[in-house]
Amino acid sequence: MLRSAFPLISHLPPKKSPPIHPRPPPVRQYATATTSHPFTPPPLPPSLPPASAYVHLPFCRKRCHYCDFPIVALGSSSPTPSPHGEGAEDPRITDYVRLLLREVAATCPVPDVDDGVPLETVFFGGGTSSLVPPRLVAVVLDALRGRFGLSQCPEVSIEMDPGTFDAARLRELIGAGVNRVSLGVQAFQEDLLQACGRAHGLREVHEAVEIVTACEGLQNWSMDLISSLPNQTEAMWEESLRCTVDARPTHISVYDLQIEQGTKFGQMYTPGVHPLPSDSESANLYKIASKRLSEAGYHHNEISSYCKPGYECKHNVTYWQNRSFYAFGLGSASYINSVRFSRPRRMKEYAEWVQNLENGTWSHESRNSDMKEMAMDVVMLSLRTAWGLDLRSFSKSFGKSLTLSLCNTFKPFLESGLVIVMDMQRQALSPGDFELDLQNKCDSGSRSAFIRLSDPDGFLLSNELISLAFGIISP
Amino acid sequence: MAGAAALRRSARRIVRPLATATALSRTLQQPERLFSSQASPEHGPRGAMSGSELGLYTPELIRNFSIIAHVDHGKSTLADRLLELTGTIQKGHGQPQYLDKLQVERERGITVKAQTATMFYWHTSASHGPDTPRYLLNLIDTPGHVDFSYEVSRSLAACQGALLVVDAAQGVQAQTIANFYLAFESNLSIVPVINKIDQPTADPDNVKDQLKRLFDIDPSEALLTSAKTGKGLEQVLPAVIERIPSPPGKCDSPVRMLLLDSYFDEYKGVICHVAVVDGALHKGDKIASAATGRTYEVQDVGIMHPELTPTGVLYTGQVGYVISGMRSTKEARIGDTLHQAKITVEPLPGFKPAKHMVFSGLYPADGSDFEALSHAIEKLTCNDASVSVTKETSTALGMGFRKLNLGSFCSKVQVENPAALASNPGKRVVGCWEPTVIATIIIPSEYVGPVIMLCSERRGEQIEYTFIDAQRALLKYRLPLKEIIVDFYNELKGITSGYATFDYEDSEYQQSDLVKMDILLNGQPVDAMATIVHNQKAQRIGRELVEKLKKIIDRQMFEITIQAAIGSKVIARETLSAMRKNVLAKCYGGDITRKKKLLEKQKEGKKRMKRVGSVDIPQEAFHELLKSSGSK
Ligand SMILES: Nc1nc2c(ncn2[C@@H]2O[C@H](COP(=O)(O)OP(=O)(O)OP(=O)(O)O)[C@@H](O)[C@H]2O)c(=O)[nH]1
Ligand SMILES: [Mg+2]
Repeated sequence: MLRSAFPLISHLPPKKSPPIHPRPPPVRQYATATTSHPFTPPPLPPSLPPASAYVHLPFCRKRCHYCDFPIVALGSSSPTPSPHGEGAEDPRITDYVRLLLREVAATCPVPDVDDGVPLETVFFGGGTSSLVPPRLVAVVLDALRGRFGLSQCPEVSIEMDPGTFDAARLRELIGAGVNRVSLGVQAFQEDLLQACGRAHGLREVHEAVEIVTACEGLQNWSMDLISSLPNQTEAMWEESLRCTVDARPTHISVYDLQIEQGTKFGQMYTPGVHPLPSDSESANLYKIASKRLSEAGYHHNEISSYCKPGYECKHNVTYWQNRSFYAFGLGSASYINSVRFSRPRRMKEYAEWVQNLENGTWSHESRNSDMKEMAMDVVMLSLRTAWGLDLRSFSKSFGKSLTLSLCNTFKPFLESGLVIVMDMQRQALSPGDFELDLQNKCDSGSRSAFIRLSDPDGFLLSNELISLAFGIISP
Repeated sequence: MAGAAALRRSARRIVRPLATATALSRTLQQPERLFSSQASPEHGPRGAMSGSELGLYTPELIRNFSIIAHVDHGKSTLADRLLELTGTIQKGHGQPQYLDKLQVERERGITVKAQTATMFYWHTSASHGPDTPRYLLNLIDTPGHVDFSYEVSRSLAACQGALLVVDAAQGVQAQTIANFYLAFESNLSIVPVINKIDQPTADPDNVKDQLKRLFDIDPSEALLTSAKTGKGLEQVLPAVIERIPSPPGKCDSPVRMLLLDSYFDEYKGVICHVAVVDGALHKGDKIASAATGRTYEVQDVGIMHPELTPTGVLYTGQVGYVISGMRSTKEARIGDTLHQAKITVEPLPGFKPAKHMVFSGLYPADGSDFEALSHAIEKLTCNDASVSVTKETSTALGMGFRKLNLGSFCSKVQVENPAALASNPGKRVVGCWEPTVIATIIIPSEYVGPVIMLCSERRGEQIEYTFIDAQRALLKYRLPLKEIIVDFYNELKGITSGYATFDYEDSEYQQSDLVKMDILLNGQPVDAMATIVHNQKAQRIGRELVEKLKKIIDRQMFEITIQAAIGSKVIARETLSAMRKNVLAKCYGGDITRKKKLLEKQKEGKKRMKRVGSVDIPQEAFHELLKSSGSK
C-alpha cells in the first residue's frame, strides 16, 4: 500500500522548499502522436478505469467580471506572490493544499490499487493555478503519483495567468513535472483586459508569452482567448488572433463569452444587446477565428479548441471521449464508475465533505448508468468535436433504431450544410448518398460511418442540433 | 361534417374550466347535516324523511322558485339567508354562499351551476284561515354570469316563479334584463327584490323607477332587503308563497317528470335532479326515458335538504333527486322527460335548447394525454346538453377536441355552398353566412361614444339605444358571433372602466362577405391558424398576424417565411432569418452536467412547441392569433 502524501505536507516547515524528487524527463515525444488524421478518436466505452485527474486550484487575485467559477479571490490583502515563488506563502493556499492532499489520500483508486492504471493526464485548473507556489504543485503531483501512479510520459498541464510567474517559477513547475501550460491571455487589448476585470495588463501578456516561448523543455502550450467581449470590434478580434498566431502556441482555446447570472457582467449586460455583440456579430467573430486559425495551420478539433497536428490536449480528449476521470478540489467534477459527481463549491462545505470522505461516511457510489443518459453524453460530447459521432460504435452500444432515428433527424441539416456525414475514409457523403444509405437500412451496406457538425456553421448551432438529438434519445 | 351537424343542433353553450370535471363529481360530499329542530321537528330521524310526511305537501303547499340576477347582485347570499331562516342550514355554519359547491365557484366567488335546495316554512296565509300550515319550498340558486345563462333557463323550467334580485346601488344591469326576459317568457311570476340596501350608495327609488320603466313592474311590488344585515328578509318567503302559484301538475296521472340536471357520484352512480310534474315517484318504480326509451328501476329517491335526503317518494310538484342505476350521465340528457315505464306519455316541453355560444379547441399539450383528456371531457360534458364535442386532429396541435368552434363555422359555410370552400379552397365565397348575436349593453351614459365605436368596429348593427335612467344607457346591437368570441367583453370592460354590463343571445345567420385566410409557414398551411375574416379586414388582419408571428416565433436553423393568404393569393409576408448561433458554452473542467442541463432545458423547450413541417411554433402563437383575428 502506498503511503499517503498527507503527512508530508503537514509536517513541512512553512517557508522551506520541499525536496524535489527525481522525475521522468519532462520532455515528451509529441511526434509519435502525429498521424495522418490529427483528430480526436471516437469515444470509448466508459468502463475503462480513470487515467486522468483534474485538480482545482481555486485562487485568483480577484474575480474576473465574467467568471462564475468556484474561486477564492485572494485580494490585495494577500502577500503578493513573488514571481520567484519565494516569500511568504498565503496560509489560505497552504490550508487548501492540505485539504486537497487529504482528498487525494482518501480517494480509492479505481478499480483498485493493484489493477488501477497509472494517470496519463493531470490538469491543474483554476482559478489561477499559477498562483499556487510550484513546490505545492509538486507536492500535489507527488501525492497523485503515490496514490494512483503516473505513466511514463504523462501530460501534466497547468493554467497560468500573465503577471503571476517569471521564468524561474515556470522552470520550477517544469522541474516538478509540469509539461504543458495553458496561458490565460483572453485579449490583446489593454481596454478589453481592463473591462474584463483581469488582474493583468497587456505588458504582462507580452512578458508571459516571452517567458513561455523562451522556456526550454516546454514544447506544448496553449493560449486562451475570449470572443464577444463588450465593445470588442472585429478589428480587435483580428488583432488578437494575429498576435496569438505570432506567439505560435501549439494549442489555442477560443471561448465565446457567456454572460452568467450572478457575475458582474451578468448585472451590467444583456446578451445580444450593446455593448455586447448581437448573435450575428458574435457568430461572425467565431467564423473569423475559425478561418484565421485554420489558415495558420491549426486544426479546429472541437468547438472551442484549435491545435497544431499532434498537439491536442489529451486531458480534454478524455472528457470528449466520455472516459472516466478523477477530480480533486473545490467544486470539481469527477466521473468515476459511471457516476458524475460535483464537489461542493464553498470551502467550508468542501472541507466537511473531505472529512466525510475520510470517515467513510461518503463514498463514490457506483451504479449502472442509464442508457439514455449515456447516449446523450456520447452525442453531446462527440458532436462538439471535429471527429464527430461514430455511428457504428454508437449503434453497437445503443441500438440500430436509435442510430437511424438520429440520422433521420439530422438529414435535413445535411442539405443545409450544418451537418456532415462521412464514410470510413472520412469522405463526406452527399445528401443523396446519405438518403440512399438510410433507405438501405442494413448495416453491412451502409457507408455512413461518422456524423459531425460543420465548421463553423454547424458548430455555431451545436446547442440546437444536440438538443434535437436529445429529443430523439429521450423524448 | 360532425361540426356542421353540431352547429345545426346549435345551442347556447357553456364552457366550464376542466378543473370542474373532478369538482362536479365531488359536489355531493355529505357532511351529516343536523336537521334544525326549530324548522322541521317532526321530520323523522335525521338524515331521512318518511314519504308519508312528504305526502302532506300537496301542490297547494309547494312553491318552486329561482333566484335570478345580474352577476354579484347577491343571489347566493340571499339563498344562504333563506336556508338559515328556515333552519335548513345552521347560521354561521358552513361557508358563505353555501350552495356554491364547485371548486371554481369557491375560488372565484361566483355561481357557475344552478343548485336546488328544499326548505320547509310555516306561513299563515289568507287562504288557510287561522292555521299556520307548513310549506315546502324549492329554491334554485342560479348563476348571474353571462356565460352560464343556460343554467338559468333550465332552472326556470322547474319553477313557477322567480326572485329577481337587483343591487340597490348598481341598479338594473345587462343580465338583469336578460334573466328577467327568460323568466317573463316562461310565464313565471316575478318577485322583485332590491338587495344590498345597506350600502351607502344604495338608491332603491331609482331602481324602482328602472324596474317600472324597463319591465313595467309596479314599484310597490319591490321588496327591499339586505342579505348582509338581514333587513327586510322576513318579507321574502311570504311574498314567495303569496305571489307565486303552486305547481300545476295532475296528482292522479302516471308519473311524469322533467330531468333538470344529472351528475356522476363515485359512490352512488348517476344522480338525476328531477321536477315531478304529474303523479308520484316511489322507490322501486319502473321509469323510462322519453329520449332513449330505456327503462330503469328507482333505487333511491329524495329531496335536496340541502344535502341528499332520502324520502322514498316524491309527489306532484316536488323537486328532488332520483338514483336509478344509470351507468353514465350520457343516459341522463338534461331536458329529457322521465315517466312511468310501459306507457307512452306526451314528453314535457323541456326548455329552450342550449345554444353553443362559447367555443373552444382543447388539445392536450402532450399528445399522449389524449385519452385522459378525452375521459375528462366526457365526464364533464356528457350530462350537459349545452356542450357539443367534436374530436378533431390538427397538424399543429395533434389530436384534440374542437368544441364547436370556428372550424365548424367553416363547415357551415361549406354545407351551404357545397361547391365553394371545399372544392376551391380559399376562393371568395359568394353568399357566406355567419351566426350573429343580439348583444345588450348597459353603460353609464358618458361611455356611449366609445361603445358605439367598438360595436361598429366589430361590424355591429345598432338595434336599440335608450336611456334606462338619468345616467344609464342601454344599447342593443346585432353583432357577428365571431366578433364577440374573443376579447370583446374585455375590451368593453376596458373602455368603460369596468362599468359596462353585457349580455347576448344568439340570433340568426346573416349573409356576409367572409373569406378564409390561411397562414403558411415555409409554404405549408397551418390549419389551426386558419381563420375566417371579413373580406374588408383581410389585408389588415393578415399583415398584423404575420408581423405578430414573426415576433412570437423564435429564429430557427433555417429561414422561415410567414405568409397570410387567401386562396393562392398571398396578402402578407414576412421573413424570419435563420439563427446564426446559439450559446457555445465550453465544458469547463470536465463538468459536463451544467452544459447537459442547458441542452436538456432546450430540448424540453422544443417539446413544448408544436411542429408544423420543420417549423417549431410556440403555443402562445396560437393564442395570440386567435386573439388578433377574433377581435379585429
Ligand atoms: N353590502 C352587501 N353586500 C352583499 C349583500 N348581499 C350580497 N353581498 C355581497 O355581494 C357579493 C356577491 O354576492 P353573491 O351572493 O355571491 O352574489 P351572486 O349574485 O350569487 O353572484 P353570482 O352567483 O356570481 O352571479 C358578496 O361579496 C356578498 O357578500 C348585501 O345585502 N349587502
Ligand atoms: Mg351566486
